[in-house]
Amino acid sequence: MRDCAEAPANSPPGEALLRLAGVSKSFGSQRALDEASLELHAGEVCALIGENGSGKSTLIKILSGFHRAEDGGQAWFRGDRVPLDDHSHQWRQHMRFVHQDLGLIPNMSVLDNLALTAGYQTGVGGRIRWRAEAARARRMLARVGLEGVDLSAPVQALAPVERTLVAIARAIVDWRDESGVLILDEPTTALSRPEVARLFSAIRELAARGTAVLFVSHRLEEALEIADRVVVLRDGRVVAARPLAGLDERSLLAMMVDASDPTPGRPAPASDRRPLLEVRGLSGRRTEGLSFTLHRGEILGFAGVSGSGREEIADLIFGSSRARCGEIVMDGKPTARPAPASSLARGIALVPADRVQRSVIPGFTVRESLTLANLAPLTKAGMIDRAAERRETLEWIGRVGLAPADPDRPVAALSGGNQQKSVLARCLRTSPRVLLLDEPVQGVDVAARRRILTLIKRCAAAGTAVLVCASDAHDLADLCDRVLVMRHGRAVAELTGTELRPRAILAAALASERHTHEIVSERQARALAQTEALP
Amino acid sequence: MSLEQRSEELKLHDTGAPAAPDTGAPAEPDTSAPAEPGTAAPSGQGARPRRWPGSMRALRFSNFSALYVGAGLFALFSLWVPDTFLRTSTFTTILSEQAITGIVAVGLVLPFAAGAFDLSFAYNVGFGSILVAWMIGDHGFPVWAAVVLAVAACTAIGAINGALVTVVGINSVIATLGVGSCLSAATNWVSGGNQIIGLSNAFQSIADDSLLGISLPVYYLLALALIAWFALEHNPWGRRVYAVGGNREAARLAGIRADRIVFTTLTLVGAAAGFAGVLVSAQIGAGDPSVGPPYLLPAFAGVFLGSTQIHRGRFNVWGTVVAVLVLAMGVKGLQLAGAPFWLPDMFNGVALIVAVGISQGEHVRQFLARLRRLRAPD
Repeated sequence: MRDCAEAPANSPPGEALLRLAGVSKSFGSQRALDEASLELHAGEVCALIGENGSGKSTLIKILSGFHRAEDGGQAWFRGDRVPLDDHSHQWRQHMRFVHQDLGLIPNMSVLDNLALTAGYQTGVGGRIRWRAEAARARRMLARVGLEGVDLSAPVQALAPVERTLVAIARAIVDWRDESGVLILDEPTTALSRPEVARLFSAIRELAARGTAVLFVSHRLEEALEIADRVVVLRDGRVVAARPLAGLDERSLLAMMVDASDPTPGRPAPASDRRPLLEVRGLSGRRTEGLSFTLHRGEILGFAGVSGSGREEIADLIFGSSRARCGEIVMDGKPTARPAPASSLARGIALVPADRVQRSVIPGFTVRESLTLANLAPLTKAGMIDRAAERRETLEWIGRVGLAPADPDRPVAALSGGNQQKSVLARCLRTSPRVLLLDEPVQGVDVAARRRILTLIKRCAAAGTAVLVCASDAHDLADLCDRVLVMRHGRAVAELTGTELRPRAILAAALASERHTHEIVSERQARALAQTEALP
Repeated sequence: MSLEQRSEELKLHDTGAPAAPDTGAPAEPDTSAPAEPGTAAPSGQGARPRRWPGSMRALRFSNFSALYVGAGLFALFSLWVPDTFLRTSTFTTILSEQAITGIVAVGLVLPFAAGAFDLSFAYNVGFGSILVAWMIGDHGFPVWAAVVLAVAACTAIGAINGALVTVVGINSVIATLGVGSCLSAATNWVSGGNQIIGLSNAFQSIADDSLLGISLPVYYLLALALIAWFALEHNPWGRRVYAVGGNREAARLAGIRADRIVFTTLTLVGAAAGFAGVLVSAQIGAGDPSVGPPYLLPAFAGVFLGSTQIHRGRFNVWGTVVAVLVLAMGVKGLQLAGAPFWLPDMFNGVALIVAVGISQGEHVRQFLARLRRLRAPD
């Protein structure tokens, strides 16, 4: 924050194209952004980095006008003071966004996707002038270095990087010159290495013609490669805004992660734990040949940025996503094609990540939702015993701390944290021996988070094997006995005991291969802390 | 369609929005009275003031609007055409005429509850009707064999629907539309487009006989409704059906074999349609290739209107039965009052749109909420 404003020496000469200062935003009691500032210069690529929840998305959403900044936020465009909160003001015309999901319509052609924003050129009677359209589309695509692509092909038939380039071309479709701000939010998540290189050359091209590019990414090596300058966010504050020259992954990491790592390392798990579930050579859409063993009473975490494969592991084991190959061994019996029903029957339960889409049943009450996965014990002579069901629901409501304690309330009307508790209760009611949790505390409030983490720990203490996939390193460090870090579909690091700290998890998840080993060791971590303490 | 809106709707479970229009009775008074202590959620979300004491809540207008509308219609026609309307025969006729519609509609509740459509059931009714008549009238099958075979054939048609939707993976609207068209063709093929007559009295007695002055199909309806109600509301299977209809993916993750559920419900509606077809033939004493399709709209109207009743936001059995009968009473009254022949269809259509519109239409609901606020400031 302040070190940015007071360090003009770090900025390139000339006036910033866009400058923000004192931008704050709170959600409830949570401070998402605290006096953040940002400077973007024409012809320059600026990387915005920070771990999950550091305020990156909030900052971008304030730029796009989706969120309203709190009073006190200021903005300048081309040196003129502009209103930060005025959606219709001229300066917003110069902000262009390409989001991670690109926002293209997959089954429409390249040409139509471009025309959706630009509008069609029409002739007599509203006829679309296809030839003129095609010429314009080619011109637009040439700006992002995309040539020779079939304009009539549906967008879904293109390579991922071509789709990204089409999205960029569409975002800047009506720019006469390239003198605006282009914000790319995690553009490389779905791309392979060579594709990233192609995207980067297009970005450089745009920057060379005067565009200010804000590049938001999880991948530090990419930020180092493409950016001229970097802005690092931590806990909603800008902790560094400076040229990249002289920085490497380690120093970036040191800036991203709080030096005073509050989580003490956990004692290494007892080695006498018996194995319960073994995964051999599991491959899905993103994972490649993953093998590991899950022990009784253990909490095993999977870390990794989105796209690393971390997000599909639980589904592959449970059988709600199909694995390409690999097998799951439990009780000495291997299964190559698990399915949700058979997994539950074997004692494996899943709490999925996407609550709204995959957990909550609209129209169901807490009682109906909670008992759904295991109705047999409540059924007598083909009839659900409502009184027993109610009693048991109340008991579970108490156990997971669901509020309000009303079994007949629609689940859809509960807060996110309480919905999550109800889903967890549904799974625990099946007395699972293996509990798979995908982002168990994402989007829940602080109190619910604490409660859920406690429940999970208690469950493990009772002998259940728990597998947690989470993007938040702090959650994993709080919860797990052992963490496997995923990158590009493979487990690249295993952290236990004193090594198991948020910083080490992040380091392994974000840094490129060659740094991992050095960084995760405790000695290095300490050295890092010292680096950071230096002015 | 309405399936997605159901979650929305349930949140507003307690708003007390009137779900039917033409009673002239005042809508429920304002709901903005302060909530009883302890009923409001700490978060405030989804908490609505509740004014009706527990035992009375079930009788609220919003849960039983069709009954209130029915009472209104009853009063209206009693004053308008007292000598023809106020007769026992009027009501026994309504019951026996609507029993078959009710049977189809009750069957239709099952796939709707599981989130699947069936557009072929009306053609399946016609197919079952012509099939049983063809076997008895043209080929001299024994009555019991013909009935069993016809119902089995229609059940098989339902299973084909189920397989197309779950195994092949075709959208249920499209699959059942296609099957419906094929059934229409098959019906005309079997019958040659003509009525099949010469059905035995023994067969006709299935639908024509009465018990305690009420014709048998009414009892069939009652029995089927009881079974369906038990299965949906009290058996674990029903819970799974509603779970699949509410969120298929969540149901799957809870270990429910969603495809199996959808398949079963589509098969069962086939069986109900077959049985209804048999009853139609027995009632009119002939196999008529044109009897099926007219069941399409009344049954749909009954199921949708029924989903706004009793257990709001859920397709449910008794709501459907009540809705079918109330609509039929309106139609009957209009007929007796000498309304033009096209008015009943208009009545059905308007009643459906208005009732569902008020209970599910987002904008109407906002408008009503605004009205209530105006009436009761603070």
